[in-house]
Amino acid sequence: MKISMMKKLLCAAVSGMMLMGVGCAGEGGSANGEDKSLKNVQEKGKIILGLDATFKPMGFTDENDEIVGFDIDVAEEVCARMGVELELYPVNWDTKEQDLNAGTIDLIWNGLSVSDERKQVMLMSEPYMDNEMVFVVNGSSDIAALSDLSDAKIGVQNGSTALEILNASEVVANGATPVELATNVEALQQLELNMVDAVFMDSVVANYEIVSTGKDYKLLDEGLSSEQYAIGFRLGDQALCDEVTKTLKEMAKDGKLAEISTEWFGSDVTTIGK
Amino acid sequence: MDLEAIKKVTLILLEYLPNTLSLFAWTLVFSIPIGIFVTWLKKCHCKPVNWLTDFYILIMRGTPLMLQIIAFYYAIPMIVASSVSNGSTGGIIPFLQSIMNSSHYMIIMLVVAFSLNYAAYFAEIFRGGIESIPKGQYEAAEMLGMTKMQTFFRIILPQVTKRVIPATANEVIVLVKDTSLANVIAFAEITMKAKQQMNFYSSIMPLFIAGIFYFVMNTLVTMLFSYIEKKFDYYK
Repeated sequence: MKISMMKKLLCAAVSGMMLMGVGCAGEGGSANGEDKSLKNVQEKGKIILGLDATFKPMGFTDENDEIVGFDIDVAEEVCARMGVELELYPVNWDTKEQDLNAGTIDLIWNGLSVSDERKQVMLMSEPYMDNEMVFVVNGSSDIAALSDLSDAKIGVQNGSTALEILNASEVVANGATPVELATNVEALQQLELNMVDAVFMDSVVANYEIVSTGKDYKLLDEGLSSEQYAIGFRLGDQALCDEVTKTLKEMAKDGKLAEISTEWFGSDVTTIGK
Repeated sequence: MDLEAIKKVTLILLEYLPNTLSLFAWTLVFSIPIGIFVTWLKKCHCKPVNWLTDFYILIMRGTPLMLQIIAFYYAIPMIVASSVSNGSTGGIIPFLQSIMNSSHYMIIMLVVAFSLNYAAYFAEIFRGGIESIPKGQYEAAEMLGMTKMQTFFRIILPQVTKRVIPATANEVIVLVKDTSLANVIAFAEITMKAKQQMNFYSSIMPLFIAGIFYFVMNTLVTMLFSYIEKKFDYYK
């Protein structure tokens, strides 16, 4: 008798515990009250920079498993001037907004393109450089202008602004098919194997790829709407955003930004503070 | 990619192999006991518990593990962020915050997600094993005057153990490869590192190198299980 009582109690307890587990998490909202973002960072003594670590040449992992890039060099300098340390934190690019809202990272700085959709979910700094969206084709390809792309399969990185721009463009309206791929590397690989006819990507990346791999690609002269790179902050973290922007402008003024840009791109491609 | 580059990538992957292995090992350590517990819950004579267990197994097997990883990983930070923004910082919030800020948070949540997922599969394998034993054996044991405990541990369990080994081996082999799913939250395991190197070299070669790693690991697992199967080669 006693044992069966115990069993029933245990049963009840277990069902209770399991029910409790079926709770739901609420939406992460923006903080109310005063903006402590800058103070928090200064107290912590470090800024955690979220990046995908596969975006050449902005921020990527090199052959020694170290994260390097133009954005990283600039961020290092910004942090040094702000008197804090820089911590690099690789995230999955598809869920970067969750990491930002959850507080795992303080900002996203990895060739992040400005778009209206993004402005609704994160606070975007003043853009610091321009980027054009270009079509890459094989050196031997007949495609020479946008009008030749009407039946083409065009590889593009999914979850990127490139996809949004391409889908809204006349090229797709005229019959081209976007092929969504996980990374630009895979897109270029498919181009090399003639699985796609063209790849639509950032000119910054395309130029770097062509030079660094030495493969026979060429860019179409005509691109699509140019876009800008900015730094993404949590909505409401205005103080931190202002401080970083201010530091960037100082670096533009004393020539440090131009120096870093020349190191990576051969010339000063930055636009902030000009 | 030349030989020198392949060597470099292999060394980087070797450096992150312990991360993959620890996710694998911790998942096994937790999921098998939880699986046994879930089997017991499913066999227990209490309808609400049976329903909840069925519901748990349905969710765990019915949704992608990749999604479960993301859900578990972001659940705590989101609960904390929303309660902090609502101004409530009491209750379990400080406790959740301390888990979140632990340097092992990522691997902890991965092991939780993987263990709960794999426990659901293991539970069904074990239940299948138990139910494959004919009813006549229970009746015979009762006739011999054995208690229920004695029947289970002396008659049923030894047969169940050997019967569930092949199906368990299947799951363990899948688990080795499933650890690569952890890269959806950017856990630094070998698939993620291979992807980063793939990006650096603009070549898909690093992924094949990672493939060799999984192949070697699974060869070892397969050998281990055929050894175990031989050990349990009784009642023939």
